[in-house]
This record gives sequence, structure tokens and C-alpha cells, in this order.
Amino acid sequence: VSKKRILLVDDEPALTRMLRLNLEQTGRFEVREENRGSNALRAAREFQPDLIFLDVMMPDLGGDEVAEQLKEDPQLCRIKYAFLTAIVTKRETGTGAAKISGETFLAKPVKRDELLAVVEELLGE
Amino acid sequence: MSDAPVRQVADPDKAKPPCVLLVDDIPANLRVLYESLNGRDYRLLVANGGDQALEIARRSRPDLVLLDIMMPDMDGFEVCRRLKEGPDTADIAVIFLSALDDAADKIHGLELGAVDYVTKPFHPDEVAARVAAHCKILRLERELGQRNRQLELVRDRILNSMVEGVVGLDAGGLVSFVNPAAERILGLPAEHLLSREVAEWAPTELQETALTARAERREVGADELALRRADGSTLPIELRAAPIADADAPAGAVLVLRDLSERRRVEAKLHRTSDALNRSHQELRAAQMQLVQAAKLESVGRLAAGVAHEVKNPLAIVQLGLDYIEQVATFDEVSTQVLADMQQALSRADTVVRGLLDFSRERALDLKPGSVNDAIHNSLQLVRHELTQRNIAVTTALAADVPARAFDADKLQQVFLNLFMNAMHAMERDGTLAIRSDFGPLQEAELGPHAREAGFLPGDPVIRVAIDDNGPGIDPDDISRLFDPYFTTKRQGEGTGLGLSVTRNIVTLHGGSIDIENRPGGGARALLLFRPQVTPADPQPQGDAAVAVPAASAQATHR
Repeated sequence: VSKKRILLVDDEPALTRMLRLNLEQTGRFEVREENRGSNALRAAREFQPDLIFLDVMMPDLGGDEVAEQLKEDPQLCRIKYAFLTAIVTKRETGTGAAKISGETFLAKPVKRDELLAVVEELLGE
Repeated sequence: MSDAPVRQVADPDKAKPPCVLLVDDIPANLRVLYESLNGRDYRLLVANGGDQALEIARRSRPDLVLLDIMMPDMDGFEVCRRLKEGPDTADIAVIFLSALDDAADKIHGLELGAVDYVTKPFHPDEVAARVAAHCKILRLERELGQRNRQLELVRDRILNSMVEGVVGLDAGGLVSFVNPAAERILGLPAEHLLSREVAEWAPTELQETALTARAERREVGADELALRRADGSTLPIELRAAPIADADAPAGAVLVLRDLSERRRVEAKLHRTSDALNRSHQELRAAQMQLVQAAKLESVGRLAAGVAHEVKNPLAIVQLGLDYIEQVATFDEVSTQVLADMQQALSRADTVVRGLLDFSRERALDLKPGSVNDAIHNSLQLVRHELTQRNIAVTTALAADVPARAFDADKLQQVFLNLFMNAMHAMERDGTLAIRSDFGPLQEAELGPHAREAGFLPGDPVIRVAIDDNGPGIDPDDISRLFDPYFTTKRQGEGTGLGLSVTRNIVTLHGGSIDIENRPGGGARALLLFRPQVTPADPQPQGDAAVAVPAASAQATHR
């Protein structure tokens, strides 16, 4: 069984590491971290992930812009993505992910259970 | 009647020199008299008997009469008495001429009003000298009288034109003069005052003041006195009483009454003007405070968003790290408890941060038609369990006719939730949470500071929600700070301090107001007012734009 690939884009290395450890610990995912928004697209082309988690506010390139570029790229436009952000609050997302304008949002600080639930939902597992 | 010569002058008034009437029944005597005065500066008239003397005196008004006593038809005493009786002739000076050299006769003559007495046989020069002396006296008296009348005229003019009322009391305490102003102030005509004692017309304070001035011979008075007037009305006056006295004589007094009503009116007007100024000043200060408060809120909001964002990443790291460790390691009982405590602490920290973000975010409303009653119901559901646990009863009186209007249902629910939680924390255990909603005209007594600030007026139709608890109420010192961000009286960890601040902002965004006060019977009441329709001042509903836009800047655009 091939593992699903997940790309984590966040300018906070400790956070991408924690996310990776939790995801890898399930034994079901292959995970790659990317801490620069401007590198996100290149990482996506190289890694060919099934799912990308995007931080919204990053110093060089915001997650919302990365998402725009993904959608415009014919090779990458089918990759699923979700925003992982501090800007929305849990009251707005409730538990788990929120759909706002068709986009999926996960509010920081996310719990492992919530993270896995969103992954399963988006990857249809 | 005799045939003695009678000299008359056509126009007596025109004659400047004194006019002297010579009266004697003996023509020789008349001649001597005439000659002793003729050639000097006199106008001379003669009469040879009493009747003729009286007739000439009445017609020609001499200044002086030289009057013989012993006359056959009417003696000089009788002539003198009749002269003195006649109003036109009373002031004619009389000098008796007689051979009688009896002291009793002289005294009798003087008692009848004569000014002098010349004994026959007289020396013509003596007659001339006495007549001259008396004419001088007469002239001086007349001048004095004239001067006196002039002075009286001046005095009356002054008194009549005075704004102050003046009442003069003579040494016997009777009113001797009174001016028109005094009549007006006292409300009594002069005839009710003149020649009467003060006690007959004046109220007690006035009587006492007049009495003191006269008895103690010093100036007394009152700066302000409510004068009871004759018609029962009262007038504010200033009263002064000064003694009028010669060294040892009993003192009279002059009372001066100054009507203060006009001054009071001016003062009242000044007060009103100054009150209005004060009010404007206060309003200006309030407006300034509001501006400062608004600026503070905005900066706090911006700060809150920044802090929330910065704190959330570390929280996320710790959260996921903790979750990971729980997955991969095994723990004994103590370590398990430690992990549980850490998870709880994390969730608490997250709650605080969420509050901060809510605060910075609260300007975006998602407005849909709804009723306050629904929001109250929904919020109650969220706390009902805890209320039951604390043995707090809930009574609701929600009027069915409360009109629906545009609300952000979630935010309104947050408002009620905050208020219910506050009430619950205030009561701790065993109490009653009473919630009432209705629709009707706003009462003056319901206008709290925030309601005024929000522009509500008595009589406005309002949707009204009152939330009463019977906890200990609010410390009066705290009431003005209740709505400050970060103000809290709760124990550490129980509240972020953002609750009421956020609550008020949400209510304000709905064009409403919230005031919290202590209830007379104990406990606190939160009173929320909403207009039945959304006013144009309300912000436009904002959809999901808040997602990509930093909250603080979203807030700024809604200012």
C-alpha cells in the first residue's frame, strides 16, 4: 500500500516538525516539510503530494497566494490543500475544519485528532 | 368806618419793597406813624379802624401790620386774632402799638401771634428801626422757606427717582416720608403708610430692623430677606435701616429697601447660561473620552490580533508535541496526570488567545433577521447544565411581540452567553437568573450612560432585554470600569477580562446599548436596548472577508 504524501508549508520549523511526527507516527503518510512560502510550489512539483497544508501568514509568500498559484498550475491544480492558520479562531471553525468560501481551514493550535480527521476527510480515507 | 385816608396800590404783588399797614383810629397818630416810615423803602397802607384793617389786609396782603390796640369799634387784639384765623392773612406779622404799658397786655398780644410791641408815646426812629428789623426777619424767613421748599423739591425728586424704596420714620417712630419705590416694593399706597407706626403695616423682620436702628442708633440690615407684601406675595429684598438722630433726641430712622427680584432673575439666567456651558463642557469631555477610548480599543484590538497570532504558533507546537508524546510513549499514573494537566493548561491558554482574537474581530457582523428571544434561548441552552449544578433558577418573561430585526445571531448569542456567565459567576450558587424581554417606549429611568451615548431618547420604541441576578451586585468603584478591556474581578483563570468589553462592542455594532447597574433590591441588572430597525449607522454585514484580512485592519475599516 503506497503511503499518501503530505506537504507541510509553514514558516515555523518546529511546527512543521510536530505535524510531521504526528502524521508519520500513524504509519500511513509520507511527509515533507517546507518552511518558505516561496519554495512551496517547487516542493510540490518535486514531491507530488496528495495534500498540502498551507500556513496563511508567511513572511515571503502567503498561503493564500500559494493556493492561487496551485490552482493556476495545470500540473498541480488537482492537489488538495487546506489552510492551517492562526487567523481564524476555533469558534469560527468549530472543532475540525471549517469551509469558508469553499476553502478548508484548520485553526491553530490544532490537535492531533483534529488534524487526522481533516486529512482523512480530504484524502477520502 | 372812618374817613381817614386810605392808600392803595394797584398791584401789590408787583411791589418789591415790604408793604406795611398802619392801623390807628386817631388820624394824628396815623400821620406820625406814616411820617416816621415814609421816605424809606416801604409801601405804606393805612386804616383807621379794625374792620377797615381786616379788609385791606385780606385784599392787599401786607407784610407787616402796625396795629393800635385801643380802638372803639374793634380792638387790636380782636383784629390780630382774626388775622391769624384767616388762612390768607395768618402769616402777616403784627406789631402792637399801645399806650398800655402792662406786661400782661404785652404777653397777651404776643400770645395772639404778634411779633413785637411798641409802647406809646413812641419815637418815630424806634418805630422805623423795629419795622426795619422785622421786615428783615420776614424777608429772611421767606427766603429760608423758599430755600426749604427748593430743598424739599430736590429731595422729592431724588426720592421719587430712586430705584430703592425709602421710608422715613420720625423720632416718634411714625412714617414721615415714603417714596414711590417703597410703595411699589411694599405693595402699599403712601396713605396707608404715612403717619403710621411701622408695626401697623410692616412684617416682623422690618419692624425689628427699624426698632434696632432707632434703639441702638446704629445701621442694621439684611443682605437678603423674603419680604411678605400686603397682597401675600413675597419679594426678595435687601434691607438697610439707619438711625436719624441728634445727639440726645430720640432717634428716627430711614429704611432703604432694594428689590432683588430683577437681580435674582439675572443671576438665575447667568446660572442657566453657566449650567449650559458646564453641560457643553462635560459633553465635550465625554466626547473626548470616547475618542480616547475608541483609539485605545483600536490599538488594543490591533495588539490583540498580533499577540494572538504570535502565541498561536507556539501553542500549536506544544499541542502537537504533547499529542505526539502521548502517542509514542508509555506513562505511569503520575506522568499521565502531568500530561492531562498540560493539555488542560494548553486549552486554557487557547481560550484566552481566542478571546483576544474575538475582541479584535468583533466589528464584522453577519446580519440576518432574528429575534432577541431566540438568541436568549440558545444561549441559555449552553449554560443550563451549569446553572442546574449551581442550583440557580432561571425565570424568563420573553414577550412574543418583540419584533424581529437584523442581528448577527452568533454574536448576539455570545453577548447573552457572556452576561449569563457573569451573572452565574456573581451568584456562585443558589440564586435566580431572571430574563425579561419586551418591546415598548423607553422610560427616562432606563437611560443609562451607554444608552445616552448611543443616542437613545425617552419615548423611543425599543426592544428591551433585562438580565437580573441576585448576587452581591457590583462595587460602585468598579461600575465605570466594567466595560474596559482586561478589567475583571474574577479569579485568575476564570475570565480574560474581555467579556464585557466584547459584549458592549457587539451591542454597539448592532446600534444598541448595554448598561449594567445595581438593582435597588440587591444584585445587578444588565439592560440591553435595541432599536426595532437597523439604523443606517450600523455597519454593513461582512461575509467571510475576515479570513484573509488581518482582523485589526478589518476593524479599522469599520470605524
